[in-house]
Amino acid sequence: MAKFFNSLRDGVGFDLILVGAAMVFLLALAGLPLVYNVLMSFQQVDMFTLGQLIRPFAGISNYVAVVQQPEFWMVTRNTLVFVVGSMAGQFVLGFALAVFFAQKFPGAATIRGLFLVSWVMPGLVVGAIWSWILAGDFGVLNSILRGLGIIQSNIFWKSDPSFSIWAVIIANIWLGLAFNMLLLSVGLAAIPRDLYEAAELDGANAWQRFWTITLPMMRSTIGAVLSLGLIGTLQQFDLFPALTEGGPANTSNVAGYWSWQLSFQLYDFAKGATVSVMMFVLVLFASILYVRSTRHEVRG
Amino acid sequence: MSAEPQIELVGIDKHYGSFHALKNIDLTIPKGAFVALVGPSGCGKSTLLRSLAGLETISGGTMKIAGEQMNGVPPRKRDVAMVFQSYALYPHMTVEQNLTYSLRLKRVPKAEAARAAREVAETTGLTPLLGRYPRELSGGQRQRVAMGRAIIRNPKAFLFDEPLSNLDAALRVHMRKEIRALHDRLGATSVYVTHDQIEAMTMADHVVVMRDGVIEQQGSPLELYDTPASKFVAGFIGSPAMNFVPGKVSADGQSVQPDLPGAGSVALGRSVGAGRSVLIGLRPEHLQVGGDGPAVLRLPVSAVESTGSMTYLTLGGDPEIMVVDTGRTSVKAGDTISVSIEPGNVHLFDPATEKAI
Amino acid sequence: MTRTYTPWALLAIALALAAVYLFPLYWMYVTSLKSGSEIFANPPSFWPAAPNANIYADVWARRTMSTFLWNSVIIASGVTAITVILGTGCAYVLARYRSAWIDLGLFAILMLQVLPASVMITPLFVGFNQIGLLNYPRTAVVLAAAAKAMPFFVVLVRATFMSVPRELEEAALVDGNSRVGAFFFIVLPLARNGILVCAILTFMSAFGEYIYSKSIIQSPLLQPASVGLSGFLGPNSSDWNAIMAYSAIYVTPILLVFVILQRRIVSGLTSGALK
Repeated sequence: MAKFFNSLRDGVGFDLILVGAAMVFLLALAGLPLVYNVLMSFQQVDMFTLGQLIRPFAGISNYVAVVQQPEFWMVTRNTLVFVVGSMAGQFVLGFALAVFFAQKFPGAATIRGLFLVSWVMPGLVVGAIWSWILAGDFGVLNSILRGLGIIQSNIFWKSDPSFSIWAVIIANIWLGLAFNMLLLSVGLAAIPRDLYEAAELDGANAWQRFWTITLPMMRSTIGAVLSLGLIGTLQQFDLFPALTEGGPANTSNVAGYWSWQLSFQLYDFAKGATVSVMMFVLVLFASILYVRSTRHEVRG
Repeated sequence: MSAEPQIELVGIDKHYGSFHALKNIDLTIPKGAFVALVGPSGCGKSTLLRSLAGLETISGGTMKIAGEQMNGVPPRKRDVAMVFQSYALYPHMTVEQNLTYSLRLKRVPKAEAARAAREVAETTGLTPLLGRYPRELSGGQRQRVAMGRAIIRNPKAFLFDEPLSNLDAALRVHMRKEIRALHDRLGATSVYVTHDQIEAMTMADHVVVMRDGVIEQQGSPLELYDTPASKFVAGFIGSPAMNFVPGKVSADGQSVQPDLPGAGSVALGRSVGAGRSVLIGLRPEHLQVGGDGPAVLRLPVSAVESTGSMTYLTLGGDPEIMVVDTGRTSVKAGDTISVSIEPGNVHLFDPATEKAI
Repeated sequence: MTRTYTPWALLAIALALAAVYLFPLYWMYVTSLKSGSEIFANPPSFWPAAPNANIYADVWARRTMSTFLWNSVIIASGVTAITVILGTGCAYVLARYRSAWIDLGLFAILMLQVLPASVMITPLFVGFNQIGLLNYPRTAVVLAAAAKAMPFFVVLVRATFMSVPRELEEAALVDGNSRVGAFFFIVLPLARNGILVCAILTFMSAFGEYIYSKSIIQSPLLQPASVGLSGFLGPNSSDWNAIMAYSAIYVTPILLVFVILQRRIVSGLTSGALK
């Protein structure tokens, strides 16, 4: 017994307690639910069986039912558009800003830091603000676009089926842009300055320097940023209830929000669990990309 | 070296997974001795020191400090002090707080701790710096604080882990003497890890040369210089390093003939196995240009480097032979010169086992 | 690059970019100060004709914002407390050792970091329902949100601990400290700033937490401000000056903290996020 207490004070026992407490907590509130989720996707869950652990086995019927839902393919397509559109916008704009702020001028770091306010704001508030900016009749974006002569008549961003998903994408790009920029800035700052000087002496112009020095040197950072972007986009939820609620007619619905709607608006927890298992597989894929691209940095 | 043993290591083993870092180390350190552990990086010298401190757990063997068995005893109960390579000064404490940290942990009364700090500051020349933070000190001053932090505890043993490697060359030479003087004044027992054989030779009473987790040889500095037990120790101790030339012992076993064109045989002054192949070890400072004895080597000069007080001549190419000539010389690159050596200064090694013959 | 006015031209462009990027925030404050008819003016006015801040008091009272914000503070405090207490020790151990087990632990943490809340909410809700935790909905939300926040916290704080030299802790051990003492009196004080920044970030994101609260907390008396906002927000909202005033009250504290601590937050993120 004395040996046990000594180990707590002086040995590995201390480490085991520290790491163990967190791991047990995470296992109980993240690991178990994950397993339970998979279990539920193979069960019949309704109001009567909600309180039981052992429910009638449903085989893959939940999966079949989900795929046969009329909105399934629409949601799949939207998820894809949302992920690709958000990531592309965040990455391209974020990279451009990172390169811009890598120039030396007074206040560069401070102004760049200001961009990060978007990242600390509650997603729901961001959604509310963009909902107002993107409003069809009185939204300020439409007035600006009309004033610039880009559009002739108002775009009903949130209620036009061909634009609704883009309304969420625009807000999501704004939300995630700054974080992309910050991570890419870190990568840019890590490139030794004398590499550029050497390339300049070798006769490379700014454009060639970007393609032959910046991009190759940033490869692992870009990999990490893209996979983090994928994960962040799949995690996005708050913008949907704030902007479109997935509508009109599911034209802006994505897997995460749909899963929540099935569980908490239609109380079909089995289907909700099934969709979220499908989504988890997608996330797993993204995180493998992420771990691969950061593996050497993990050991840092 | 007849004092009672302060540190006794018997059959110490240390494994990191499949890596065998320390192999059956036996070492006895008498009370009051200054022992240097020296060797190339990765030889296990730091691991051995950290095992003494209790920062690494050993996999086998017994370790005693002042007669008490220390296997598995946590660092805080060993009563040893350590000076780290990076000094490891607590950045959020002043010099005085750094010095008295161990006393405060032992719940020594405040006044007493303050008095001890003043005394130690006096001996290490830190008195005007007691209120400062580590970041406000120069490298040499930080080094002194690290020393003071060890001294104040009056420990059973001082452990030094390459304490001078972050200082510039001039300060390093100065601190060598200061540490040794401090050791003598305190009558302490010190174990000093370094990769610099000059530090080991100049500071220690007893030098332990390690390689790949084993002790190659231990003894007084001059024993190691005069009678290296192996080619490794011979090459490690002494600067510039010893030259090695393949050769053959003559038929009567009394002389040796280097296996180089133009080389002459040199008497050994002792008898070794007749006709056997050997590695001949010649220290650069023992080779004399011209000289009285018979020429042992005759080779073209490939480079001449003069420092003013010494001239370093590089001869031949395969293997390169380094010769140190005191004073100035008229030899130029391209000349062919003869060098000679006293018979007593010739070292012989077995080409296969690399042990001294 | 050699012309002397270039840096100032770049500064001007940077300010313009920042102005465009931060326009949505400006628009939130401006709209909240406009009258009910002015918000529907066409073309819209970029500065309110008659700025009127009365709406703030009105929204505060009508929307029972004091209750909502108080719940947000309680939830965010609970999440931060659990995350910091459990996450700090975990991050320390993960930073201190290198072995296959540590890699496995890190991998597990990274995996948990990527789980979307929308994947977790269904099993959490059903599970909480079974063990009766739904009767204490704020506690349930705190537990769920802490599990969501912890992986990110651990990854960032681990980077902070890695920047504390190992030798300092060893020196403390040799000086006579136990592992526990060295952790609390040497390592923790040196990592304090990094932990503080991460704790603030955790608090901020928990302060805006929505999906768990929306799904788990039914009683308006216990709901946080995010759920309160969603109550009058939807595709057909028209009460824009009130919504914007609510939003402004909600985010202004966060924005102030962020602006004050901006430098530290950014440097904490940059050192930790990619490592």
